[in-house]
Amino acid sequence: MTIQTYWQIDVAAEPARSEISARGTAHGLFRDVRTSALNRYDYYAQIAQAAAQTAFDGVFLPHRRQSDDAAIVAAAIAREVPRIDLIAEFPASAGSAVYAAKQAVSFQRLARERLGWSIAPPLSAEERVRDGDRVADEDLIARTEEFLTVARGVHGEHPFSHAGRFFEVRGGGFEAPLNRVPFPRIFLQGESEEALALSARSADVHLFAAQSFVSLRSQIEALDALALREGRTVDFGLAQPVLAREDGDEACRDAARAAIGEFALVGDYDDVAARLAELARLGIRYFVLSAPSSLEEAYAVGQHILPRVRVLSEQLRAAA
Amino acid sequence: MTIDFYWRLPTHGCHGSIRHGAYDRGDWSPLGPGNIAPGLDRNGEDDGFRYIDHLAEIAKAAESAGFIGGLIPSFPNTDDPWVISPLLARDTKTFRFMIAFQPGFLNPVHAARMSASLQRATGGRTVFNIITGGGGPAQLWWGDSFSHDDRYGRTTEFLDVFKGVWKETNFSYQGQFYQVEDGGLSPLLAREEIPEIWFSGSSDAALQSASKHADYYLSWLEPFDQLTDKFARVKERTAALGGEQKCAVRVDLVARPTEEEAWRDIRLGFENVGDQRRRQGRGGATDSVGAARQQALRPSEATRYEDLIVAPNLWGGFNLLRGGPALGIVGSYEQCAARLDELIARGTDAFILAGTPHLEEAYRVGEEVLPLLGRKADLLLDAAE
Repeated sequence: MTIQTYWQIDVAAEPARSEISARGTAHGLFRDVRTSALNRYDYYAQIAQAAAQTAFDGVFLPHRRQSDDAAIVAAAIAREVPRIDLIAEFPASAGSAVYAAKQAVSFQRLARERLGWSIAPPLSAEERVRDGDRVADEDLIARTEEFLTVARGVHGEHPFSHAGRFFEVRGGGFEAPLNRVPFPRIFLQGESEEALALSARSADVHLFAAQSFVSLRSQIEALDALALREGRTVDFGLAQPVLAREDGDEACRDAARAAIGEFALVGDYDDVAARLAELARLGIRYFVLSAPSSLEEAYAVGQHILPRVRVLSEQLRAAA
Repeated sequence: MTIDFYWRLPTHGCHGSIRHGAYDRGDWSPLGPGNIAPGLDRNGEDDGFRYIDHLAEIAKAAESAGFIGGLIPSFPNTDDPWVISPLLARDTKTFRFMIAFQPGFLNPVHAARMSASLQRATGGRTVFNIITGGGGPAQLWWGDSFSHDDRYGRTTEFLDVFKGVWKETNFSYQGQFYQVEDGGLSPLLAREEIPEIWFSGSSDAALQSASKHADYYLSWLEPFDQLTDKFARVKERTAALGGEQKCAVRVDLVARPTEEEAWRDIRLGFENVGDQRRRQGRGGATDSVGAARQQALRPSEATRYEDLIVAPNLWGGFNLLRGGPALGIVGSYEQCAARLDELIARGTDAFILAGTPHLEEAYRVGEEVLPLLGRKADLLLDAAE
């Protein structure tokens, strides 16, 4: 089984990098010719280019309320990286499911069928009212499910009609040439029982959070059983922070400096590659790898880890 | 005073010629010889170009020819302006993306975030053409079950919230359609300019909404006296409601070196439209007041193109040649400039122009017609005669 490796572009991380207006007045000795015309979009494009050049299969853009919208960023960089997948995350409260599907279809048509959708994990009730979202806690799962049902419905059927709790459509669906592209691959997240059950019914890929090997294994087994009951197949993904260096001590030192999280994979290139291969053996097919410093670490991981992981999974396949 | 001229990006494919009905640019026509974006490579296979590659050519042509930007229309079978704009953001330098959209389809806070993000991606080149009327069965196709007048109420509230979270921190709002508590964009996003807002809509409910939020009131071209009255009424009515409204016209041109050449293209185009299609016209059921006003011009009875000349250089059969409004301007470069000058004199503050094919005509109109404006084009005309 081929694994897919995506690099995370976190639009809220390293907020001062390439954002000239965020740096304040420079008092340095050097002549600074940068203008506010240079901003994070140049950096996003550069990270995506780094991911493409180091043979990642795509980039994953999480939804961050305080920064640029992931779907806008994905489109803005798409023509500069013509081959890799672009997974954009947004909340199910973004608006009409029909309109979201329409935008996805355009993206697929114009940017060559590389779009993935990640539905953002639910916000707290307080955050939701700030964002003008009136749906109650107990209805969030149902809304996400109906959002996906309607979006897939107008994509796959014509005419499509639906009268639900959150969305209503009559005579919907796309005609040629809009009906010729595949629906984006759907990534869902969450460790709760309800979240796993929703993924069993609606996800193409369930993206687990980084966690211990043991708990990941039990989550995978739980989701597998639920999906089986639904008669569906759900691929397993993992959002995994990594920090790899030529030697393990350097990696530990830099991980401490970066205050990287508890379940990050930290070590030398061989170690980290071996751990990723183990996770692949556990059934993880989609890796969303991330590190605090997106550009430099994309090179570190893409140049040194991914080739090793590919060799290891090749051996694994041969052994099987 | 200067006038903003926009061009249009055709989002439903483009005709290679005003004389023929085929959408031979884009994939609304079958992939075959003579089609482009996508086209056929030398082995007879899809050459890999996508329609966005052609749209990029048009946007760059418009930008280079002096247009400030382009309208990007949105209908059920078009590509979407919220996707087209960011895709082209980094390919263009000054081109403004006028996104046509119906506010009801997006959560206003999410829309504000998307818009501020697009402003950052483009260096502040986002403009909105807010559409509310539309309607008929198409609204339910879009998943929208609100009535015509409710939709205007919703548009007003949408823009209240959209602007509120952008301009204020701790913004709260209790509307009929939207409620927000303690909202606001992050400083990174909030420091961007709110996009200029263009409104369409001829009904009373539309004008009420426009008076509160619109920078420009946009109309299709109508016979000049009728349009003059309409603009005067809009300006008066919105002033009474406490707003200030600039007015803009959206119009197609067939501009040629001589008037004869311009009418020849119209005649050939008209003759290529079959009788049956002429009777059917284009477009479907709608509860848009603007569309109804245009349908009064519908040329279903015409047997000769001359039957549709409603005034000097004004032809009412454009909707036979391509989707969209019926009335357009036909003439020599000088005549086209004179008609645009006349519209300016009658209260037009900005334009969205278009011509078919959009790529070549962007250069032609930008290079041949726009430079003549405001230079007493009438005198140039006299000199030419």
